[in-house]
Amino acid sequence: MSINVGIIGFGKMGKLHLRVSRYMKDAKVVAVADPSRRALRAAKKEGIRDLYDDYHELLHRADVDAVIITLPNFMHLEGTLAAVEAGKHVFVEKPLAMTSADCGRIDDAARRQGVKLMVGHNYRFFDATRKLKDTYDSGAIGDVVLSTLELVHGPLAPSLESQPVPEWYFDTEKMGMWLLDLGHHVVDLFRWLFGEAEVIYARLDNHYGFPYEDNAIVVLQSKAGPKGVLHVGYFAKLVFPAFDFRVILHGTAGCLSTDQLVPRNLRLHAAKEGIANMLRRITGRQIKPFSYTYFYSSYVEEQRHFFDCLKNGEEPVVGAKDAFGTIRLIEDVYRYCDRVPSTAVRVS
Amino acid sequence: MGTTVGVTRTSTIDEESIRDAVFRALDLVGFEPHGPVETVAIKPNLRFYWDYSTGETTDPRVVASVIDYVRERWNARARIAVVEADASAMRTRHAFPMLHYDRLASEKGVELVNLSDGEVCEKEVTVGRHKFTFPLPRMLFDTDLFINCPKFKVGPYASGNALHITCSLKNLFGCISKPRKIDWHPQINQVIVGLNKLIRPHLNVVDGIVALGQRPVRLGLVVAGCDPVAVDSVVARIMRYRPSSVQQIRLAEKEGVGSAHNISVVGENVKAISKLFPSRSPLAFKLTWSGQLWMLRLYAKLSGDAVPPLLD
Repeated sequence: MSINVGIIGFGKMGKLHLRVSRYMKDAKVVAVADPSRRALRAAKKEGIRDLYDDYHELLHRADVDAVIITLPNFMHLEGTLAAVEAGKHVFVEKPLAMTSADCGRIDDAARRQGVKLMVGHNYRFFDATRKLKDTYDSGAIGDVVLSTLELVHGPLAPSLESQPVPEWYFDTEKMGMWLLDLGHHVVDLFRWLFGEAEVIYARLDNHYGFPYEDNAIVVLQSKAGPKGVLHVGYFAKLVFPAFDFRVILHGTAGCLSTDQLVPRNLRLHAAKEGIANMLRRITGRQIKPFSYTYFYSSYVEEQRHFFDCLKNGEEPVVGAKDAFGTIRLIEDVYRYCDRVPSTAVRVS
Repeated sequence: MGTTVGVTRTSTIDEESIRDAVFRALDLVGFEPHGPVETVAIKPNLRFYWDYSTGETTDPRVVASVIDYVRERWNARARIAVVEADASAMRTRHAFPMLHYDRLASEKGVELVNLSDGEVCEKEVTVGRHKFTFPLPRMLFDTDLFINCPKFKVGPYASGNALHITCSLKNLFGCISKPRKIDWHPQINQVIVGLNKLIRPHLNVVDGIVALGQRPVRLGLVVAGCDPVAVDSVVARIMRYRPSSVQQIRLAEKEGVGSAHNISVVGENVKAISKLFPSRSPLAFKLTWSGQLWMLRLYAKLSGDAVPPLLD
């Protein structure tokens, strides 16, 4: 049985998810909804025939089983609730909602409707982070006492894009505070590795004249013991395939970093994977989509996991509860900064 | 005697030293306005939302020093505007605050003007066999003094063209009112020269405090002059390019924008500074970019693999 999928919101992420979906065996994107004519033209160019400028019309279609929601952050709540109430299974890009309370509302609705819900925490699906977690879980580096999680990006426009950055990126009401966007990934990874945690220090600052912070140091301590320093920033000029992300675990029996697990030369990796895919194609085997980009294959893995869960009736590994925990911890960071203004600069 | 280009350096990079370097460079040039200076437009180079430390964007401290120079030497009450237009992927209303030009404006009491918003006039120009019509901001033609403040950097890869340099001549590309400038990329060199035939900055003050070659480098350099062709020729020499090998310089000279010959370079030793610049081969750069994109498209076609939207 093939799963019919609709995509709600056809910006950069919607387009990416459409391209990824083409490699899913039992799922097919049949419709796209976006209020922008340009976005719908782009979807048509990608071969989608059923186009809607109002996503509610897409949700009314009985033949659509699941939706991928790639709306702007501030629309995740209403879009996800509408999809869940329409009985659709939902894959929604992070953040699930702007507040933990809203994540709770979505969780309740999904349970009530009996639909599956997965949140796009794609960093959990990086080959390097998976290997790192497997090694840690195996006990090979002992108990982790200290860890560092770093993610630096931005600011805003990758160099190859000739389109302006969407306006909602500049609006804190619509984007959410900045930690909710990029910082979300490392907070989620810390929780994924070590479980529930609390904020023991935070400093938010800005290098650029953003209306909100663009760099942060957050120190977390998990209830299980490990502490983590999180460095997140939105200030570096990085041109694809450059990528400034790492997790370092310092354990009682050893140390491990994702830098040891990521190909040292990403261009060489792209060439090798490209050749391997050509050989797969020639010999009639399935190619490994996006493997040449290294980091983008995480989107393939997470989507595959979502559709496997739908087929097998299993719960996705990143559901509303995880999103709730991550966003609540981020809210704790902001609460800490409000409480301790002498040690944490909150940009308002 | 040819045109004068002033080259100064500072070994320490702070507000005071940058101001000193800018003042010395302008004093070396010895430019004096022909009439009263009531209105001034200063055009920095803002690229995306990257700040000056990346070597992509004019340092606001350089612009601040130019503002001080205008006020101290010519008119303390001059009405000064810092101007920039929207670009394909950048909106000036966001770039000004993000890159701290808002702060500069309030500290120095100057206006920030988005050239995509004001009154626009259509201007026609011919460059060789090419004829162009550009939507240009009227204010640039009405101002008493127009000062061009480009960044000292190598050029981008633009629709098959790998520009040697992005400096005085190229900075006027950012004066086109229409945001979607990418449409002019296929004939970028002719477009740059056409714009320089239409808009004639009175002064060019190049920010080489952090310059951009293969990587950013703290040169602490300021290059100034009235003739953009002469200024860019000196910049090209510091980047270790022959000025005659830079198409926009060659074409600009041919079209009468300025002269790359008989330049009197005063101040620092250009040859010595050029050794500090991390030079980039334009051919290798072009081949790397175009080769990678060509191979990616070919690979996607042959393998059936997808391309991330980022690389479209």
